[in-house]
Amino acid sequence: MRNVISIADLTNEEIEEIFSLADAADKLRNDRPASGQIMATLFYEPSTRTRLSFESAMQRLGGSVISCSDMRASSTAKGETIADTAKVVSSYADVLVVRHHWDGAVQAMAEHSGVPVINAGDGSHEHPTQTLCDLYTLRQEKGALKGLTVVVCGDLKNGRTIHSLVYALARFGANVVTLAANGMELPQYVIERLEREYDYAFAPVTSDDLSAAVTATDALYLAPKQPHQLALFTQVDEVIQARINSYASGLRYDAFYMTRKQKERMKNGANEGRYPTIGSEFLQEKRFQNTVVMHPLPRVDELSPEVDRDYRGIYFKQAAYGVPVRMALLKFLFDRRQEKRPEAKKSTAAYESPEAVGPQCRNSNCVTLKEPLSTCKRFEIYSIGQIGSLILGCVYCDHRFQVRFVGNVKTKRFYSYDNTLAETIREWLKTGELAIFDSLKQAEELGYEPYKSGSQRALMDEADIKRALTEISQQILHDCRDPDRLVILGVRTVGSHLAQRIAAEIETKRGRKPELGEIELYGSGDAIRRLPPADPDAAPLNLKDREVILVDDVIYTGRTVKNALSIIFRTGRPQSVRLAVLIDRGHREVPVKPNYAGKNIPSSEKDRVRVKLRGVDKEESDQVVIYSIITPNEKAKAPARANDLEAGK
Amino acid sequence: MNREGLFLSMAGEKLVLLERADVGKAIHRMAHEIVEKSAAPSDLVLIGIRSRGVHLARRLARKIEESSKLSLPLGVLDVTLYRDDRRQEQSAPAVSSFEAPVAVDDKTVILIDDVIFRGRTIRAAMEAVERLGRPKRILVAALIDRGARELPIRADIVGKNIETGDGQRVNVMLEESDGIDQVNITDWQRRGAS
Repeated sequence: MRNVISIADLTNEEIEEIFSLADAADKLRNDRPASGQIMATLFYEPSTRTRLSFESAMQRLGGSVISCSDMRASSTAKGETIADTAKVVSSYADVLVVRHHWDGAVQAMAEHSGVPVINAGDGSHEHPTQTLCDLYTLRQEKGALKGLTVVVCGDLKNGRTIHSLVYALARFGANVVTLAANGMELPQYVIERLEREYDYAFAPVTSDDLSAAVTATDALYLAPKQPHQLALFTQVDEVIQARINSYASGLRYDAFYMTRKQKERMKNGANEGRYPTIGSEFLQEKRFQNTVVMHPLPRVDELSPEVDRDYRGIYFKQAAYGVPVRMALLKFLFDRRQEKRPEAKKSTAAYESPEAVGPQCRNSNCVTLKEPLSTCKRFEIYSIGQIGSLILGCVYCDHRFQVRFVGNVKTKRFYSYDNTLAETIREWLKTGELAIFDSLKQAEELGYEPYKSGSQRALMDEADIKRALTEISQQILHDCRDPDRLVILGVRTVGSHLAQRIAAEIETKRGRKPELGEIELYGSGDAIRRLPPADPDAAPLNLKDREVILVDDVIYTGRTVKNALSIIFRTGRPQSVRLAVLIDRGHREVPVKPNYAGKNIPSSEKDRVRVKLRGVDKEESDQVVIYSIITPNEKAKAPARANDLEAGK
Repeated sequence: MNREGLFLSMAGEKLVLLERADVGKAIHRMAHEIVEKSAAPSDLVLIGIRSRGVHLARRLARKIEESSKLSLPLGVLDVTLYRDDRRQEQSAPAVSSFEAPVAVDDKTVILIDDVIFRGRTIRAAMEAVERLGRPKRILVAALIDRGARELPIRADIVGKNIETGDGQRVNVMLEESDGIDQVNITDWQRRGAS
């Protein structure tokens, strides 16, 4: 059984095979190979042509279609997870076609489906069948894809079709010139991937050539390294620039691929006039006489109707190819139903957190954040050390990010990532001992200790902590407009314990306990919940119009607080949020500031401040300590072997 | 910076807080502070919050560019869609409200607004910035800090601190949009020139 989630799921040979099948679409129509089969279309986002062309393709293959006109209004509205939907619907149909607004959602559904799943667009991630149609159109109009030069124009940042298309063109050896609307350039990670995986080089081109389509916009020229001997230019000096310009002016442009001007992304006409357009000027330009114009449709006004009447405007043909290509793809998948999915040879290693919590994808629209229940915490390790860092990629949305903290499951020690650790980390990955953390705090919450620390110094003892909390509680009551509307919200875990103590102080003063909850930043369930011992029948905490006191042990960069604020505001709209911390140690990276701080202490970035409370992690008394963290590489020339690290503990 | 308490004796009275020259001086000083607080000017990204924050951002950028000979990336952010007090938040379309997005990864981002008050705009702005990437630091610059925050958010670079009552309105007028550089306080009911 095969799924098509990304264009990368198909090899070049397989794509050629699908194209041959599409060439013989009439034969497929007569053979009716899908007779008796059912396709289910699940569209969580509106679409006309993708959906209709899929449904038409299935029916032309002799199969039938079931669908739900509006997934948002279906059981999803009742809170069903996408995983459950996939499980259920896959027992009704032989193939699922899914479009979703979250990045990576279709991958998550495929993991729970018993039948093949085709991605019809997931968030801003990929839209592989559109890419197949685009490639097929180019092949039909221009012959072989290798060596073609395709100019992609417009919104290159948000368009999922564009990212898929660029990768696919690279795979087939085409050259790509990007012509982005202001602020909508091809994302850096796409370019990096072209360099790394497809061995492409790129250079900026300021070329008068394209002036018929756009004025004064810089184009970026991407080409395979081999055929043109273009080096990778990080810094383009004048000589190289001149060479590229002259080269670019000699280019034969085979196709312009326009993207839709997405009005909803450009408010108040801010970027009007800077969006590339194709009209009469383009058509009159002699050098474009063999340049076809493509567009995924629907269009707004970036393509003038004049182009429709011209032989070069092939976008309606492009749309028409949607049906034969999708027929071919369905037939291709049906033929491979018995086949075990060949494990794609990946150059990357997989990582699954051995701990209950682990790193999180940084893409806020990723399915792993939107609906963690339907996903597993799985990442790919893209590089260890090659480019100076440890980089994880989300298996769902392909987003990549740097890792700062790693640990060893057995020794329960954590380290700040450094390239000298690369070799050791590869070993831990092999033995399954590698733990990766989003933050120091997360490592500590999981019971990890720093690899090595300097001597510990006490900052506050039991009496100091008690005094500070009493004072904070008094100030909270003093500043509060309506004590009955107070909610004390601790940041799990130490913050929750402090919140409990503050709530108890307030209770002694007022005779009534304020509502008490905690917020969990790395969890997978409800981010905000009541703290035990809460009445199990109590309604969930409602923060609307409440005076929220957010409690944490130590404030440092402020990122924890910023994330907590995001969660709070996603949940409801409080009247106000005030922040109480036991320790403020400075070094802020975001503009947050505590309203109440038990103690301000100057600290170095290498210091670590920990609040230890009785009853938490087997601590026997309350105290605040400070110590410095020593990373392995600071110690006598970097131990590069795991054994040395163990020995050093 | 001294914090002044201001009390208006009569409803509807207009109190001029900063004149043209004062506004110029304040912006000049803020530009210096921004440079001081960044690791290197080449590290800076300015993001103006519509609409007067954008005018301020442009002026600050010009000042910094004069002294550093660098061209600073300048983003434009419209926060209305991100404001949590928008009704029917659930149905708010998930469109980025960046009119001019900028690359923020590993940069020092300065969020610029004319007035900082409750802190809600800045919180919403931070969220929008996060969608663009992960900056090294985010700082807030405002011409006027009115205090009376409802969220634990601070302004790092401030032109002038003032304390006002809820019924008062601080009007920042800038040449680009209002034809004059002036900051004044009016009674909320009788809205000022802006």
